[in-house]
Amino acid sequence: MPPFTKGSPMSRSRLRFAAASAATLAVAGLLGACGGTGPAADSPAGKAKAAGRPVYGGTLTYLEHQPPTCLYLPAAGFYPNGGILNQITDKLTWQNPETLKIEPWIATKWEIDKDATEYTFHLRDGVTFSDGTPLDAEAVAANFDVYGLGDEKRKLPVAEFVNNYERSEVIDPLTVRFHFTKPSPGFLQGTSVIGAGLVSKKTIALPYEEQCRLRNIVGSGPFTVKNQVVDKEVDLAARGDYNWAPPSSEHQGRAYLDEIKIIVTPEDNVRVGALISGQADFVRYVQAYDEATVKNAGFTVYAEPTRGVNNGLYLRPGNSILKDRDVRKALQAGTNAKEVVETLFTSGYPVATSVLSRLAQGYTDLSKELAYDPDRAARLLDEAGWTRGPDGVREKDGRKLQLGVFVSGPQPLSKQTLELVGQQWAKIGVKLEIRPADAGTQAVDIKDAEKTAVAHSMVGRADQDVIKSHFHSRNRDAILSDDEKLDRLLEEESAEPDVTKRNAKVAEIQRYVVDQGYAIPLFEEPQVYGGAPYVHGVAFEAVARPSFYSVWKSERE
Amino acid sequence: MARYLLRRAGQAAFVLWAAFTVAYVLLQLLPGDSILIKFQNPELGLSPRQIEEIRAYYDGGASPLESYATTLLGFLRGGFGYSIDTGTPVVERLAEALPATAVLAGSGFLLAVLIAVVIAFAAGHSRTSWVRDALLAVPSLFVSVPVFWLGILLIQVFSFRLGLVPVIGGSALQQLVLPVLTLAVPIAAPIAQVLARSVDRVQAQAFVPVVAAKGASRWWILWRHVARNAALPALTVAGVTFGELIAGSVVTETVFGRNGIGRLTEQAVNAQDTPVMLAVVVLAAAVFVLVNLAVDVLFPVLDPRLRAVTG
Repeated sequence: MPPFTKGSPMSRSRLRFAAASAATLAVAGLLGACGGTGPAADSPAGKAKAAGRPVYGGTLTYLEHQPPTCLYLPAAGFYPNGGILNQITDKLTWQNPETLKIEPWIATKWEIDKDATEYTFHLRDGVTFSDGTPLDAEAVAANFDVYGLGDEKRKLPVAEFVNNYERSEVIDPLTVRFHFTKPSPGFLQGTSVIGAGLVSKKTIALPYEEQCRLRNIVGSGPFTVKNQVVDKEVDLAARGDYNWAPPSSEHQGRAYLDEIKIIVTPEDNVRVGALISGQADFVRYVQAYDEATVKNAGFTVYAEPTRGVNNGLYLRPGNSILKDRDVRKALQAGTNAKEVVETLFTSGYPVATSVLSRLAQGYTDLSKELAYDPDRAARLLDEAGWTRGPDGVREKDGRKLQLGVFVSGPQPLSKQTLELVGQQWAKIGVKLEIRPADAGTQAVDIKDAEKTAVAHSMVGRADQDVIKSHFHSRNRDAILSDDEKLDRLLEEESAEPDVTKRNAKVAEIQRYVVDQGYAIPLFEEPQVYGGAPYVHGVAFEAVARPSFYSVWKSERE
Repeated sequence: MARYLLRRAGQAAFVLWAAFTVAYVLLQLLPGDSILIKFQNPELGLSPRQIEEIRAYYDGGASPLESYATTLLGFLRGGFGYSIDTGTPVVERLAEALPATAVLAGSGFLLAVLIAVVIAFAAGHSRTSWVRDALLAVPSLFVSVPVFWLGILLIQVFSFRLGLVPVIGGSALQQLVLPVLTLAVPIAAPIAQVLARSVDRVQAQAFVPVVAAKGASRWWILWRHVARNAALPALTVAGVTFGELIAGSVVTETVFGRNGIGRLTEQAVNAQDTPVMLAVVVLAAAVFVLVNLAVDVLFPVLDPRLRAVTG
């Protein structure tokens, strides 16, 4: 698994609900009605509507870029894992990707106490796992006991999306209550993320290595695992008795498709060629330079936003050169994100206007602060005492202004992006030393600010907490932070129950991170899929993992 | 013969042990390890202390020498341990991957030999000098074609443009055609080169005009006399190209999305999955040793002059 797996949707706080919960509100199915479930007319799903009535049957051939790794649910953020687990598991709640609101699913309604330390969920009756056992309060309790507390003996780590968990309490077969040691306003949204998929009691009782294996994952989702050839293919079959889609889903009952064949096809142009030549119906990871090929052939490109911390360069203040804020600010001013996008990417990759994506919660526009200004960059470096050497690279006290960065495997065209930025930096007299990603060296050096002064990464996650996840010294810690003020701001954001105040805090953090020169945001990274014109009804969760529940295939033209 | 085989078996055992040990030491020297790579995944949010605990759980706190001895003993007993990346027994992973690669490499090798023989003998038989030169240029062309590029080209033309063979789905046979062709081309090149040269050399020898004077046709001479004599160097080269088969299968299996030892190797290297890499190295060494042993044993069969020496 690459050290920086892209995008986990795990989030801790869904504020709207924290606010609503102050009144200990039973949310019930009301939201389904006002949640805005109809896809927009210009979205791919909207087009599908025009194609006629859905038909049952058929097999969807879906080409994946990489084989799945460990399928322990909390590790489902890795896209190849999520692409499978999203089809075979259900969650307590459903996050509407358009509105980002939390809607009922396996839980028909819930109550949250005033300080968000007690959550009571009422479960839908008659839901079963594919092994026939009931999805009841005991099963849900067993799941969250593991996700919330982990299990040392079975080597099961705690899930990123559950905070301050204390214990579960089974009230009756269809009612479960969770207790928290401290307020946990993000827990409701946490129950909707991909890693919170519910598995049978038998699965959740297994040790880590066993829960990693797909054949042991028993969920209640619309598809079940029919066959697996490790590292090559996963075949899913529709569950005939599935009848518990989120109430707001237009489609109910069993899935339209009979089968999904997920085939690992690592070669980029084989995936795209197979799609266009009709050998496959849907593919993940269409490279930016292949998008035109796909579109010109009359196929659909789905560039799905990931709603989190933007793809960018993250500067480490622990590095002996970058400890100087002026140098960091100079690099920020000397980087032309617009040129990167225009040279290498497409309109599916919007130029970053802040640390967070425009679709992220609590986003604030900082495009003015991030404007490209090479003159200012040069001035800042001059003032900081870095003077041009004979080879054009700046020097100070006999030391060259040279910074190391790793090519980031999960980021699209990372090497090309870094090379282009390297050229931009060369103009202001900075040398970017780009190193290829070899997993072992990277795992060791990525935690060393001296060797890896700059990190190229992003995190996708549809919640305010995504910024904490990326920057906090005890989370992903992209900048190897030694900034206590930043940690404090992030913790305040994370514990703030009022949504307006919390968004203001997120805006303050974005401004602070940019002002300190910790981040050089480049673009809002999408997940790009390609689909055949006869494939309809593809939906995505809030962080762009596909759901094939409502997918159907019309006759090929 | 028995003593000879015994000596060879001893040598083989030494080669296997040396391959194991060198691979083991080199893998230990690499920066980082599979546990760090797997568990430093920020999604799991483990602290360095927790990762240390996991490492202790995996290696049981053994000293480097103890770990080496345990692993070596395990290998001797046929137990290769567990893949750290996937948690499955290495034996299981090898058993899944081996048949596919054996079929791919075996067919690729046969096709390569066929191509080589056709080129070498067509060139040897040809009287027109430009045809001959053209044919002899083919191996150099083959050897300079990158396997990766060739695979993509074959897929683009035969599958995506002409629609002759599907790359996704399709029968086992259909799935084999293009990968085998991709693999065979670079393997055919050195065999064809050596074979063509020895055909030339043998044809220049004095016995050829003698046989011709006795009334043998050119084909008869080529097949009955020249081929037999020219085959020996080519056989040696064929044994050595086995290494290339393994290297080629890494690329071929990745391009065509096939399962096999090549893909397994690539993934194990990416994840620095030491138990899998060790098993692959030892397996490759074992097959290499066996193939070369087979070549040496075949020598006296093909050439009576060698029988006295080894017998």
